[in-house]
Amino acid sequence: MTMLLEARGLVASYGATPALDGLDAAVAAGEIVALLGENGSGKSTFLKVIARILEPSAGVLLLGGRPLSSMPRRETARRIAYVPQSVDLVFPIRSIDLVLQARAPHGRSFSADTPEDRRLALEAMRACDVEQLAMRDASALSGGEKRRVFLARALAQQAEIWLLDEPTSGLDPRHRLEFLGTLSRVHRDRATTVLFVTHEIDLAGQLADRVILLRAGRSLAQGPPAQAMTPKTLRDTFSIEARVEIDSDGRRTFLPVAPTPPS
Amino acid sequence: MKAIAAAALLLAVAIAAGIAVGGVSIPLSDLWSGRGAAGDAARLVISLRIPRVALAGLVGACLALAGAALQALLKNPLADPFLLGTSGGAAVGAAFATLLGASPLVSPLAAFAGATVSSVGVALLARRGGRMDLQRVLLMGLIANAFFSALLLGVFSVASGEAARSMLFWMMGSLAQASPERVLMLLPYAAVGGAALLLSASRLNLFAVGEDNAAALGVDTEKSKRIVFLAASLLTGAAVAFAGVVGFVGLLVPHAVRAVVGNDQRLLLPVSALAGAALLVIADVLSRALLAPAELPIGAVTAALGAPLFAYLLLRSA
Repeated sequence: MTMLLEARGLVASYGATPALDGLDAAVAAGEIVALLGENGSGKSTFLKVIARILEPSAGVLLLGGRPLSSMPRRETARRIAYVPQSVDLVFPIRSIDLVLQARAPHGRSFSADTPEDRRLALEAMRACDVEQLAMRDASALSGGEKRRVFLARALAQQAEIWLLDEPTSGLDPRHRLEFLGTLSRVHRDRATTVLFVTHEIDLAGQLADRVILLRAGRSLAQGPPAQAMTPKTLRDTFSIEARVEIDSDGRRTFLPVAPTPPS
Repeated sequence: MKAIAAAALLLAVAIAAGIAVGGVSIPLSDLWSGRGAAGDAARLVISLRIPRVALAGLVGACLALAGAALQALLKNPLADPFLLGTSGGAAVGAAFATLLGASPLVSPLAAFAGATVSSVGVALLARRGGRMDLQRVLLMGLIANAFFSALLLGVFSVASGEAARSMLFWMMGSLAQASPERVLMLLPYAAVGGAALLLSASRLNLFAVGEDNAAALGVDTEKSKRIVFLAASLLTGAAVAFAGVVGFVGLLVPHAVRAVVGNDQRLLLPVSALAGAALLVIADVLSRALLAPAELPIGAVTAALGAPLFAYLLLRSA
């Protein structure tokens, strides 16, 4: 299988704080991949390096076999959409304008308001059920609405890879289900490759084709949930004892039992 | 487009008032026909007043444009050229020149040198891991501003009566030195800095949501930060060099304009430039008219107008 994204020995840090320490990981086209790991294990950093928000200090990242660092930034921005965990909007901005920004890498000198841009933005907002919020100030939206506006933005970007940082954190059960429904639908319709960070072990097991378990900036295990998520790998990743239960539909549930005593 | 036209109209009215109002009132119709009571005296006043109005307009446009761009770049509605230490550096440069007895013609150059030292210094101190850290730009700017204020007070305290008076007038902002030459000297700085910022407008829209946002959407953020920061410093340094320290314009004008046209930088930047020019021309009219024949420092007028207006804008948006 040829890999769409491949990291080899990736090293990155925030100032003096190391975040990735020789990460090897690969993602195939069309997959949904979950990144799991403790706080500070490098999950979000990995997304930021792929989105070219943070430059790696060593290692290579390949997109379709080519080093990402040798590609023009605008080109990678057309192919990779990044959805942050949260955005603190200081200035008022209408939701439609926020979605339209996703067209910036496609436009001339980053402007984005051709009729075609507007059509794509509105279509994406309709698909994510936020069309009625288009003229509202995005900074005044609820958490769930904001998430869906940002998903619409990723959709309008027409990128083949989506990077989602904790897309379900802070959502109530109904908004969480709605969000996941929208995500599954657009993934199915567009065959988008999705890489998402989550602390919901069960969600990773159910939604992802493959999981990547991170610890201290390195990969501990990767593979389909059934193989990669075992009591042992979960113990190594999260320092917890976990039971894995499989119900009659074959759905796997992970029950954290107790923290592992420090060795 | 409508907003740009409205701001241009406001500026035109301000310019007309700026030319007509002063120690000697000149009806615009007399000026047009070249007749009337004032006669030759009118033309003499005009030759002083037109450069003064032009200088006020340019300085106002420079400061408002720099403020608007810095607010978007730093994603901070309180950012302005004065907060970042640029004008402090300019003030110290000019004060030293005055203290050393340099001719008034040298002051703008000294002020500009001071502004350059300050902004390059802030930009270098704000580097972290090879990048310009925007949080640090703000903090280092504040520190630079405090440091330059101390220097300024020191220079001021040892200056002779005459030099101190000249410094003081300059620290409070003044257009009294306006001349056609000064307007022509300021023009290229305003044009270069203004063009750089206007061309960055779409990128600044992405920065206004966040630096990460701009990077993830394909902007070469390090390059953009350098261009915008240096262009804003150029505009501020040039404005302060020719008119002294005129506060509140860079902070207030983008706020007021944003409340009307929204935060799309492609509209906000040009409208802010026009509105800033209009505001400073009007402030200059007031500074000449309120205590005529004495003149108020224009910095005092902008602050007196700006502070309550700013408070009103904040209360309204809350």
